[in-house]
Amino acid sequence: MKVKVISRSADEFTRERSNDLQRVFRNYDPSIRSQEKAVEYVRALNAAKLDKIFARPFIGAMDGHIDAISCMAKNPNHLKGIFSGSMDGDIRLWDISSRRTVCQFPGHQGAVRGLAVSTDGQILVSCGTDCSVRLWNVPVAAPMELGGSTENSAEPISVYVWKNAFWGVDHEWGGERFATVGAQVDIWNHNRSQPIQSFEWGSDSVISVRFNPGEPDLLATSASDRSITLYDLRQSSPVRKMIMMTKTNSLSWNPREPLNFTAANEDGNCYSYDARKLDEAKCVHKDHVSAVMDIDYSPTGREFVTGSYDRTVRIFQYNGGHSREIYHTKRMQRVFCVKFSCDASYVISGSDDTNLRLWKANASEQLGVVLPRERKKHDYHEALKNRYKYLPEVKRIVRHRHLPKPIFKATSLMRAMADARKRKDERRKAHSAPGSIKTKPLRTRRIIKEVE
Amino acid sequence: MADPKRKRRDDGGREKSKKNNKKQKSSDSRAPLKNSGRRKKSGPRLPSSLQKEIERLNPTAALNSDEDIASGDYNVDGEIYGKDVYEFDEERAEEESQKNKRYDQVGVNKFEYELPDELSDDFKDEDLESDHENVDDDGNWETQGEQARGDDSEEEDDGRHTRMLQGITGMPSEAFEDKRKEKKDDVISELYRKSEYNSIPDINVGDGCVSFNDIMDTRRGTSDYSNLRKWGQQVNKARIVHAPLPKSDQAKVERNLAYEHSKKEITQWEPIIKRNREASTILFDENTDLGFSTVGAIASEFEPRTEFERKIAAIVGDNELKEAHKKDGSRLLELNEVSIEDEKERQNRIAKMRCLLFRHEMKAKHIKKIKSKTYHRLLKKDRVKAMSARIEVDPEAAKEFALKQERLRAEERMTLKHKNQNQWAKRILSRGLDNQDEGTRAAIAEQLRRHTELTRKMNSMKDSSSSSSDDTSDDDDDADENLAVSDGDRASKLLEKAKDKTMKVLEEEDEVPKSGLLSLPFMRRGLAKRKEAAAEEAKLALQEYDNSLKNLENPSGSEDTKVASISGRRVFGAAKSQTPDASDKIKSDHFYGGSDSEDGLEAIENSEMVNDRSNNLQNVVMSDPVSIQEDTDTHEDSVFKNLNEIIKDSGPKTTYEVAIFASDTWKKAKNRSDKDADNKNSLKLTGPVRQELKDTEKESEEVSDTDSEGHMVDGILSSGSKFSYKLPSQEELIQQAFACDDVEDDFEKDKQDILNEENPEPEKPILLPGWGQWTDIQQKKGLPSWMLKEHDVAKKKREEALKKRKDANLKHVIISERVDKKAEKLHTKALPYPFTSQEVFDQSLRMPIGPEFNPATTAGALNRPEVVKRPGIIIKPIEFKDPLEKVGWGGEKPKLKNKGNGGKKNTKHQARV
Repeated sequence: MKVKVISRSADEFTRERSNDLQRVFRNYDPSIRSQEKAVEYVRALNAAKLDKIFARPFIGAMDGHIDAISCMAKNPNHLKGIFSGSMDGDIRLWDISSRRTVCQFPGHQGAVRGLAVSTDGQILVSCGTDCSVRLWNVPVAAPMELGGSTENSAEPISVYVWKNAFWGVDHEWGGERFATVGAQVDIWNHNRSQPIQSFEWGSDSVISVRFNPGEPDLLATSASDRSITLYDLRQSSPVRKMIMMTKTNSLSWNPREPLNFTAANEDGNCYSYDARKLDEAKCVHKDHVSAVMDIDYSPTGREFVTGSYDRTVRIFQYNGGHSREIYHTKRMQRVFCVKFSCDASYVISGSDDTNLRLWKANASEQLGVVLPRERKKHDYHEALKNRYKYLPEVKRIVRHRHLPKPIFKATSLMRAMADARKRKDERRKAHSAPGSIKTKPLRTRRIIKEVE
Repeated sequence: MADPKRKRRDDGGREKSKKNNKKQKSSDSRAPLKNSGRRKKSGPRLPSSLQKEIERLNPTAALNSDEDIASGDYNVDGEIYGKDVYEFDEERAEEESQKNKRYDQVGVNKFEYELPDELSDDFKDEDLESDHENVDDDGNWETQGEQARGDDSEEEDDGRHTRMLQGITGMPSEAFEDKRKEKKDDVISELYRKSEYNSIPDINVGDGCVSFNDIMDTRRGTSDYSNLRKWGQQVNKARIVHAPLPKSDQAKVERNLAYEHSKKEITQWEPIIKRNREASTILFDENTDLGFSTVGAIASEFEPRTEFERKIAAIVGDNELKEAHKKDGSRLLELNEVSIEDEKERQNRIAKMRCLLFRHEMKAKHIKKIKSKTYHRLLKKDRVKAMSARIEVDPEAAKEFALKQERLRAEERMTLKHKNQNQWAKRILSRGLDNQDEGTRAAIAEQLRRHTELTRKMNSMKDSSSSSSDDTSDDDDDADENLAVSDGDRASKLLEKAKDKTMKVLEEEDEVPKSGLLSLPFMRRGLAKRKEAAAEEAKLALQEYDNSLKNLENPSGSEDTKVASISGRRVFGAAKSQTPDASDKIKSDHFYGGSDSEDGLEAIENSEMVNDRSNNLQNVVMSDPVSIQEDTDTHEDSVFKNLNEIIKDSGPKTTYEVAIFASDTWKKAKNRSDKDADNKNSLKLTGPVRQELKDTEKESEEVSDTDSEGHMVDGILSSGSKFSYKLPSQEELIQQAFACDDVEDDFEKDKQDILNEENPEPEKPILLPGWGQWTDIQQKKGLPSWMLKEHDVAKKKREEALKKRKDANLKHVIISERVDKKAEKLHTKALPYPFTSQEVFDQSLRMPIGPEFNPATTAGALNRPEVVKRPGIIIKPIEFKDPLEKVGWGGEKPKLKNKGNGGKKNTKHQARV
């Protein structure tokens, strides 16, 4: 007689260390697990709820300025450093981790309008309404010596006074050039006291400028004549101009997709454009109820943050029509500038109430060291939420946000207005000959024309 | 098509006319437009319907002027009836209106000055169109005029020329007429003729230029003619130089070119972007620089920051020292020089310390010599006080104290000093505690208290393991007592021990090696054989032991034999009845039998019962010596089992008891029990017999049987036999069977119920007397009409709803249309956006992704997020890498799929997603 014996080697069950997990053997046959879908749905629901519970996006405020913050710049080479300039001419370097001022850069007589840092993080460029461009040496971070009270102040390397007030500055990625805008667009070099190149197209003042980080010769500006202009530094002339119905306050190139940029518009929407096809926006990002003041792309290129005059900060997907997240506090006033941190995990906003605020980019993200098992669990929850996001219950929980009353009211009012307009259009269409009235798609509606 | 556009145009026209009005006011001179008169609006207007009416009545009124006709021609749409009736100034004569200007049908002048408004599209289309037309018309007209003028001037010139000729020659002008007519030809011929000699061009001829060919003709036939001609052709091609464009246009062209160029540049990114977007995961945590990798690297970068570090660094980094180290140690010694003063000072310090120590020692000795107890007590008290004070203040002292206490406790546990074990305590206890005075008793109590205090922790720790140790100690005690009790037992004890060991050996032999050489089959067989032999031997030895035991105990008398028999067979009852320490015996037995404590306890509990029975058992033993032998041969455990069985099964026990008490003999009891069994058997036998009887009765079908069943059967059969029975048809049978339940009706009722539930019937209008109207009137009128109407409407609605149901036409089906609210949560209302079909969407949810449902190798890939990044790692902007190159590399980024080959269309689509 043959006797069958279940044999299992001890190696499969013994742990190497006492801290190891016991191995569990499972039969993955789907026929014996009929409830898996239900189980995962419930888990997705719970994950969504947990996200709500753990959503604590606000980390802290950094105060020290005595006037509204007008501009910020992140140090591309140093994660913790962020520069902020205020309307009274004060520039400060902050240490994000300790949320304290590391260094001050006094010198500007009027408001500081633009800040930019070179790619190596050594030189800070500032400009303002006092018609001066100043170059500063960024102090080398001495992590251990932060006694707390030591607020150094730095002297500028060079000061260039020019003909007109400046509205913005941006630094080229990986080079020595930087661009200032005001009455015209000037390209400067670190080592020259005069601009090496100047562009002028139209007579209105230019209010914002951004270099394309992927394609360093490409440059986009927005002007107060409601236009967005592209420049190519290899050519001696501007390239293309597009005029919209409202002014574009700021714009930002997608760092992972050098074709695309997004413009923060005065009408409360953001418009993503392909630089090659300016006659139509690729995507319209709606949600703000007031003018969008500033925009900055995440280094991952998958989302961007906007600050608005309606006192909120929102985070959008690069291809999403509506915001993923809204941040607001009672004390935060008009937001004038926002930045994504270089590791894409924090958002910094500067507002009218003289404070910089530090937010998590992902409201419910766990800070600190996350062990591999923990991370796997988070990933699993994230995947589940993503999978079941279309089901009504999960969708409701994930989308729900508490809004400040004024914004809620404004949103509903705007919706009512939009609905009414739509209704009217539909009726007009219905009562006129077919084909005679064409509704312009939203993507082209706000574009007046493309100027060659 | 026409209607809205027309309106718009109308609007445009209106605006334009307003502008015109303004102009009119500013300057009296008016430039009439193509339709200016009609568009000039002043005063109230009639509604368009009225206008239409009027125009229908007198259509000629609209066409009462040339101007209007012209405008009508121009405006193809025929806006004729859009004219204003109140407009009287339009009737003014054209000439009058254009007094000082040339006739301008379409108002070119006007348009020339009016720039098209860029910002309003409404204007733009129309105006542009009209502009073009105007310009075209105007251009044509203008050129015609110019031509005409040119002709005029020519004629004039000719006139003058003839007059001059007449004056000179005196010939009539007709003579020159023909010449003039053929003038061109003449001139040309003259030119050609002249060209041979004269290269001066004639102004009146051709385009007024000497062509290259003209020059070349002169050289025809010469040697370098062909070369020259070739060169000439080349020059000819490049010859046309356009006039420079206006600056703005030039800039525009430049910009366009530049845009095309930069477009081409950035289009190179397309495949990379496409690939990134299509990748299921983008990793940003690769190629991260984590800083220094080794301790040496970190140390080399070290810079002293604090004061202390700087000092250390100054010493370590001292050049002299370094050199000294590098060479031999002699230099180090030199560096280590000590001055005499320092050495003296050090010696003095040491001497002082020694002196102090000595003094202290002397003092301690002196104190120790003092014999006064009070002094020491006081000293101790002081010490304790100081200690407690220190404990309260100083945590270090407290810790020390705790350590001391711990040590004391440990010592107490080790020495058991206070467990009445010293001589003094033993003596007192031996004398009896009651005889002592109070002081001594208190002292003893105090000592015990102290002991408990010191060992308290130990007790609390030892809770779990107490039982086993107790057992062993008990056993030991028992053994001791046994020894004390009977000296004669010692030999038997020895034997038992020996037996016990053999038993153990026997038991141990059961263990078989599971691996190695000994696990091989032939080795096993050999081992088994050897084991058997050993077992045999052991058994023999056991027998011997037993025999010798018996031999030992037999001569000591009947009681001893009983004991022996008990110990041998593990039956303990017999000894107990005689000896006072029977319970102890039982215990010892158990000890030998493998110390199964539970059994022992049980045995103790049942000791009385066992005692009762012991006599009988003994009797049995005595009467059946053979069985004893057999029992001793068997394993001890089996003996115990027997015992337990005897104890446990109460049934036979009682019988035994009864039997034994009656006759005191086993045989009798056995016989009796046998008899009982027989009785039982006989009783059991009666059952089958009866059944047999029954069977026979049934078979015989005798009514006399008492079985009711049989009676029933009989009854039916008998009734059947009485009437002429006719077999019922199938249908009848079914009808009979389902006589009471009407399935179809039930179903219909059910369906009706469900329908009513899902689409409830409207409530019947109820007459509430006195509500709304006077009662008598109400009664007369009946229900108010609106109520009835409402009811009817509701009824109709219900009927419609019922008709719309899926099961409306299916008679035998109920399809419930009730919505399950709980299930609704699990469905989307519409197909979500990126999905194109329901199946694809369902498919996307089908497979679970959790680690419980997938092996670890795939679960990770299933759950990986779209963007993998680490906090604290700076993500740089994208860098351009040639996509073709990348394909060559192969698996640089394994997570990215679909490399290269990007189409424009796809990217566009992606961008919108």
